[in-house]
Amino acid sequence: MKPAAFDYVAPTSLDAALTALADGGYDAKPIAGGQSLVPLMAFRLAVFGQLVDLGRIEELQGVARDGDELVIGAATRQAAIAKDALVAEHAPVLAQATGWIGHQQIRNRGTIGGSICHADPAAEYPATAVALDATIDVASTRGRRSIPAAELFEAAYTTTLEPDEVAVAVRIPVRRPGEGTAIFEVARRPGDFALAGCVVRVATSGGAVIDARVLAFGVGGAPIRLAAAEAALAAGAGVGSQELTAALQADADGLTPPEDAQATSAYRHSIVVHVANTAIAEAIADSQ
Amino acid sequence: MSAQTGGAARFVGASVKRREDPRLLTGGGQFVDDVQLPGMLHAAFVRSPLASARIASIDTQAALAVPGVVAIFTGADDFPRLPPWWPSEANVPAQHPLAIEDVRFVGDPVAIVIAESRYIAEDACELVDVAYEARTPIVDYRAAGEEGAPVVHAELGTNLVAEMASPPDPALEAAFAGSDHVFKETIKSHRYAAVPMETRGFVASWNKAGGELTVHMAGQAPHVARAYFALSLGLPEHAVRVIQRDVGGGFGQKAFQARDDMAVLHAAMRIDRPLKWIEDRQENLTAATHSRHEQITIEVGVNNDGLLQAIRLDHVLDAGAYPAMPAEADPGLVAAWFPGPYKVPHFGFRNVQYYTNTTARGPYRGPWLIETTVRETMLDIVARGIGMDPAEVRRRNSIQAADQPYQLHSGIVFDRVSPAETLEQAVEMAHYAQFREEQAAARAEGRLLGIGIASYIEPTAFGGGRSMGIEAATIRIEPSGKVTCLMGLGSYGHSVETTMAQVVADELGVAFEDVTIVQGDTASAPVGGGNLGSRSAVIGGAVAGMSARKARAKILDLAGHLMEAAPDDLELVDGVVSVKGSPASSMALTEITQVAYNGADRLPEGMEPGIEETTRWSAPFVTHSNATHVCMCEVDRNTGLVKLLDYVVSEDCGVMINPMVVEGQISGGVVQGIGGALLEHIPYDADGNPLAVNFKDYLLPVADLIPEIRIGHIVTPSDTPGGHKGAGEGGTIGGVAATVNAVADALAPLGVTITEQPLSPSRLLALIEQASA
Repeated sequence: MKPAAFDYVAPTSLDAALTALADGGYDAKPIAGGQSLVPLMAFRLAVFGQLVDLGRIEELQGVARDGDELVIGAATRQAAIAKDALVAEHAPVLAQATGWIGHQQIRNRGTIGGSICHADPAAEYPATAVALDATIDVASTRGRRSIPAAELFEAAYTTTLEPDEVAVAVRIPVRRPGEGTAIFEVARRPGDFALAGCVVRVATSGGAVIDARVLAFGVGGAPIRLAAAEAALAAGAGVGSQELTAALQADADGLTPPEDAQATSAYRHSIVVHVANTAIAEAIADSQ
Repeated sequence: MSAQTGGAARFVGASVKRREDPRLLTGGGQFVDDVQLPGMLHAAFVRSPLASARIASIDTQAALAVPGVVAIFTGADDFPRLPPWWPSEANVPAQHPLAIEDVRFVGDPVAIVIAESRYIAEDACELVDVAYEARTPIVDYRAAGEEGAPVVHAELGTNLVAEMASPPDPALEAAFAGSDHVFKETIKSHRYAAVPMETRGFVASWNKAGGELTVHMAGQAPHVARAYFALSLGLPEHAVRVIQRDVGGGFGQKAFQARDDMAVLHAAMRIDRPLKWIEDRQENLTAATHSRHEQITIEVGVNNDGLLQAIRLDHVLDAGAYPAMPAEADPGLVAAWFPGPYKVPHFGFRNVQYYTNTTARGPYRGPWLIETTVRETMLDIVARGIGMDPAEVRRRNSIQAADQPYQLHSGIVFDRVSPAETLEQAVEMAHYAQFREEQAAARAEGRLLGIGIASYIEPTAFGGGRSMGIEAATIRIEPSGKVTCLMGLGSYGHSVETTMAQVVADELGVAFEDVTIVQGDTASAPVGGGNLGSRSAVIGGAVAGMSARKARAKILDLAGHLMEAAPDDLELVDGVVSVKGSPASSMALTEITQVAYNGADRLPEGMEPGIEETTRWSAPFVTHSNATHVCMCEVDRNTGLVKLLDYVVSEDCGVMINPMVVEGQISGGVVQGIGGALLEHIPYDADGNPLAVNFKDYLLPVADLIPEIRIGHIVTPSDTPGGHKGAGEGGTIGGVAATVNAVADALAPLGVTITEQPLSPSRLLALIEQASA
């Protein structure tokens, strides 16, 4: 469990980091908190000739409000997000999602950009980003672009980022009046990756749901929208209603959840309706 | 700490703070990985990725070319085969440190790479080119005895390790025939592991010129290890020094030396530099021992009044490829102790164990505990079957004080045990009747609350004249008046530096602070049995006390001579000898030691200078502890997750040296039992690949999941000096069964029967769904 030899650079400017990554090609890898990458390297499941540490680049740190958006530097630590006042006010479900990530020691190191770019199928931030219609700003020596979160996650551990691109910021629309959000998940132990989880955002008008995002995670390769449930909610189906239950069951039946030492595929399939129902109920309560 | 002085016992019985903690909590511990020797090299293993294969060839050329690689040894280097630990009647294969020709499990050591750093060694491991010819493995032990099953050890011609059975017994058959009910279930225990916080580790240093081998190790029994190393390596015993300072747990896994351990020592003797091997976590979960993989089919004959009439067991074990324990050990314990705290008139058993292409079975805290798991879970099944409360079934069958001494069918005698008393105390502490009311109310709301009981009588501190049963202590009253006690224990976290000092301080009449326990080093300690089998307090405590009394007698003899008083009129309290009732007439211990060491002309005629006393003592065959556990839980109907609500233990380990230490042992043990029942599992796929070899997949219990463990004590002194009984393993022994029973009780309204662990949410939700379908 010792990694193969690698070079390590810790530039203080984004340009220097991007240049190092461009020069390194496929052999170079950005590292942020290292909470996933370092174990992968220790098991030699991942071998890189050069690590480019993003932790000392000022530009990638911190939370700010920019018009109707919250802009979170990609290397902002999860622990900082959990206690950030702007996040609490404008994207509270992101702070709640952070509480489900690992343990305090992990959150002290882990970053929002690192978690999103690692794209673990059972991680909280990717699904939360999609549910909140977040946009990921990315950069390389070739220039900058913005990727809607909904278009970022291709499959387990696979994003549409190029190897020389790094996430610079996560932009999240600020919470609008009448909006409600919630996250809920089931894990074997506190801090474990979710066996099934769900992030929900509802828009309401006059107390009635008019639009919904229901994102399941841990039950497929990437965050999965439970489209039938979203449609049922937008059509006025309430929590516990036959319509919503049937829609969630239909969504669940469309899933092919993974199987591993922690849970069977059938188990993940079984609990996803309960998990989604719980999060939906909390999101609607949150909107009132 | 108890503060009164002058009484018979001032420290024994007090929760004296652990002397070990300041250094451990401030990073001052000396674990094997802290040992750095000049010129030290590092080892890493190439291990088999296949469960069964023939090694066609091994090419080490590319690996040897890596800068910093010093040597690579393979099976071709002829490290001698391992001697057996104990004589055994079983079918036992040759064990070589490194695989020769065949690999027999994923993780089987194939080559050991020695390099300037562990990093380089692991780089080189990737370049060792092993050509394997894969074979079909036998993975399922239940199929290992079938005709045509692949054979793990071709030389044996069979996968059968050993088989034993009680003789045919017409009275047993008649008892079943005459019972009002007969219940039968097959109860399975899954594969999991000891998982010590510190993995295995060695630093071995061979002094060729002096012919001496020094071995720093994370072990459990320094002298036992020394004897085995000497035998294996062809060295005289005195030429091997084993040192284990702080050790981060072992739980049985470090009690025996495995093939890879011996490969490290052989390699160290072939290179001329010290060699370190620190097992990593993946290796530990893959290639150190696994435990508890076995099943028992149990039949119970019982009458309508709840009285047990007959029990028969059919026990099948998975030995893995290279079992660490002699084949007779665990099955023998299960068969001999099975009826446990209950009067069972008729009993029969059969046991069979098989080799498989999986990691070796090894001892883990209460290695035989399936007897408690099966007996106690079956008692609950029986209770439900006859419509009687599980507590009442236990009450009616329990061995009472008046029944003792009580002889089991095996000849084992229970005496000075208190199963009826711990049952009542545990039930009371758990507010059992009140919980049943809450449970009924919760059930009416559709919630699944459960309460589970488990009782056991546990053999501890095996004696009987063999190494584990013999211990020595040397007490030296230093010239300074301070006390050093040298012991052959091998603490891996047992607080013996504290508890043994409590015993010595009391027996001598000195301050606790003035006593130092030195253990874990064969160069300083008298030969002893180490820390295993719940023996430290019973045997170590007894012998430390005996030596202290001898030293005290000599101190009083000398003081009597110097003070012109009869020794019988003197007392030693807080390091001062005085005439009983006349405290003005006194001598400090330091004055006496000065004479003892530096004033031979003032000694009485015939007295040797110095004060140093050794006692070696052979303990009686066995000392029995007993306990009752009660676990309370709620199962989430939607997720199958178990939330533990409360946990109670009532135990009897005789006279407690340090209640805090006893409760620490019990709590840690219970948590390991809970972990086994709910979380820990190393499943294998059909090809023989272990599927949980890191802490993402192998789920240890974490603090959030564990309720406060409330502990009550019944004190029935043993008949050994000091009156102690072992307390090291019981927590785990009861922990599995109580947890399983709580969950089974929660699901009882659904009509499901639980016969398999771990009680994962997948398993429980499937049961809930089946019941609802």
